[in-house]
Amino acid sequence: MTAADGWQRLSPLALVFLVLSGLQRQVRENLFLFAGAGAGAAFTDWLGLRELVLIVSVFFLLSVLGAMIYHRRFRFRLDDDAVRVRRGLIERKEVRVRFDRVQNIQLGQPLYFRPFGLVRFSLQTPGAADKEVELPGIHRSLAETMRDRISAARSGTDFADDKLADSDAAPAEDAILFRATPGRLFLHGLSSNQVWVIAGLFFYLAGNLLNRFEERLEGLFEEAAGNAEALTLAAPDWLLGLSVVLALLLILFGLSGVLALVRFWGFELLESGDRLVASSGLFDRREQTVRQAKVTGLVLRQSAVGRLLGSWHVIVRQTRSSDLESDGRKNAFVLPGLAVGDLELTRHLLPGLVRPTELHGVSPRFRRFAWSRLLVVQLLVLVGLALLLGASHWALLLVAVLAALALPLLHLRFRHWGWARQGFRLWVRSGLLGHRLEGFDLRQVQQARITSSPSQRRHDLVSLELVLPHGAVAIPFLPGNAAARLANEALALAESAPFQAL
Amino acid sequence: MSDAGEAGSDLATAFSNRTIDPDELPDYRAVALQSVSPRFAVYAALSSALFWLGLSAALLIGPRLPFVNLGLPAWIAAGPLLALAWFAAVAWLDARRRGWALREHDLMYRAGLIWRRTSILPFARIQHVETASGPLERAFGLMRVKCFTAGGMAADLIVEGLEQDAARRVRQHLLEQIRSGAEPLRSEADGVEE
Repeated sequence: MTAADGWQRLSPLALVFLVLSGLQRQVRENLFLFAGAGAGAAFTDWLGLRELVLIVSVFFLLSVLGAMIYHRRFRFRLDDDAVRVRRGLIERKEVRVRFDRVQNIQLGQPLYFRPFGLVRFSLQTPGAADKEVELPGIHRSLAETMRDRISAARSGTDFADDKLADSDAAPAEDAILFRATPGRLFLHGLSSNQVWVIAGLFFYLAGNLLNRFEERLEGLFEEAAGNAEALTLAAPDWLLGLSVVLALLLILFGLSGVLALVRFWGFELLESGDRLVASSGLFDRREQTVRQAKVTGLVLRQSAVGRLLGSWHVIVRQTRSSDLESDGRKNAFVLPGLAVGDLELTRHLLPGLVRPTELHGVSPRFRRFAWSRLLVVQLLVLVGLALLLGASHWALLLVAVLAALALPLLHLRFRHWGWARQGFRLWVRSGLLGHRLEGFDLRQVQQARITSSPSQRRHDLVSLELVLPHGAVAIPFLPGNAAARLANEALALAESAPFQAL
Repeated sequence: MSDAGEAGSDLATAFSNRTIDPDELPDYRAVALQSVSPRFAVYAALSSALFWLGLSAALLIGPRLPFVNLGLPAWIAAGPLLALAWFAAVAWLDARRRGWALREHDLMYRAGLIWRRTSILPFARIQHVETASGPLERAFGLMRVKCFTAGGMAADLIVEGLEQDAARRVRQHLLEQIRSGAEPLRSEADGVEE
């Protein structure tokens, strides 16, 4: 073999990446601690600026030193069927990852790697909670060699393999499945739930800063108020307030849209043989490769705002080991900014899977059950509050209003629950204001659970939960027979499917 | 569409060959479950009682300590005692209704008194099996069988209340099933080594 063999080191430029990502992690982990009203602020008051600079620079030097040692000791090597990595600051660790176990390959190129043709290469296996192997700063050609070798390796245990082996005979042609225009990406940003995360962060930080600079700000406000009086504004106060809120919302949504543009810039999904390749990113150009056979399910999502804008996104699910993973994770395989017409592409992600047009609903008793339980809780709260605050307190009215509001919400929730069979695939829909459609292969079912409460048993209803390699999917309030049929079929399919070597 | 696209649709037709009549499939509801050990009910009630007893003892003794001045009334310890009675009774009744079964291809376990849950775990999905028993369980001659699967902790199944011999036999059986199912694939070491 060529340069791809033997123990190799990372490029010197990788040091920049190691230092930057280390600092980034530190800041992310300690942001709330430091920005918090308590310790951070008191600390900065107690210390002078000089001491603070000293501490920060010592901290920086230490992290540079750590990164240097890590970089010096880091070695990796490409075998015929595996990649090996030796690393460790204090404790030395050697990891060997067999290619056929890899379920997700990522190539990333931060801005400062671009002139040197370097990339960040990382891969994930089903057993690992985080990236199993990360090689920052290796040459693109080497990374591509590795990617191709990994993609060529197959375990021979996946369902699709027998069939797809044929497609290897002829060189695989790349087909573009989806390309997101900047407009669609911006819409994705608007409809994405990250708006609310940004809003939370914004108000949290703004609140803290306000506390710190309250006095100075008050002076400013008084001055501004004086000026405003001199101007004699025509608009009434409530209109001003409303426009401030609207402006803030516009800024937040705009920011979210821009963030989505930066993250997913030039998003493209390719089908190359049995591989799905997604590439995107303005500053940090990323390419993610997943083998079709390692896809365990799909989630089609449309948030409440997304429904207004007609914007969907798809999350490609894979086996995970941690229960704490969320959809918004950096490693998640997300297809952003899809229009309804684009959803056709699901058939390429999980062969044969098409968005269902008709779904079976769940029993209307779901509504009654949920509302009665909610009422009981609210009654208890009401009685408790009445005892504590007196019977004529305004809080009692609030609780009663909330109880009334819960009714339409529960109805919406009920309306969203639904399921549909497509051969050996199952779709489950849920949601409140937005939609979430989860599609998967019944042969992937890891466990079936059937749960019933006393009132469900009286009406021959059960809740069915199917555990999949990427998490559990539940359908509540199914008629007993329908649930048993689904569970029996899922089990029969799972048990007659080839043994799973995850 | 490309070759890959055709392969995808080929795949779909090859897969859908398998026609199944759902009514002829073995029904999980028809399985006669085997009860867990009768000693398990005593163990479950006792371990639940011990927990609440500890809490009420702490509430009873705590305010009487010389350096503590909480001013709690003595009857506050009755709360955990009431909870003790309730939870011990529920644990007892639940334990007596628990059942399990080994089918040809899967393991079934039913638990729960108010919320009754039946879990069915195909052998083909078990990654490894473990037996475990705490001191109190050992005193009653009981053992748990833990089955680990892919997909995180929520996907695991723990069968409680088996007698030690039965638990060992179940574990042995499961291991044999896993081995015979995975023989061609698992001859090599697992993919990730450290």
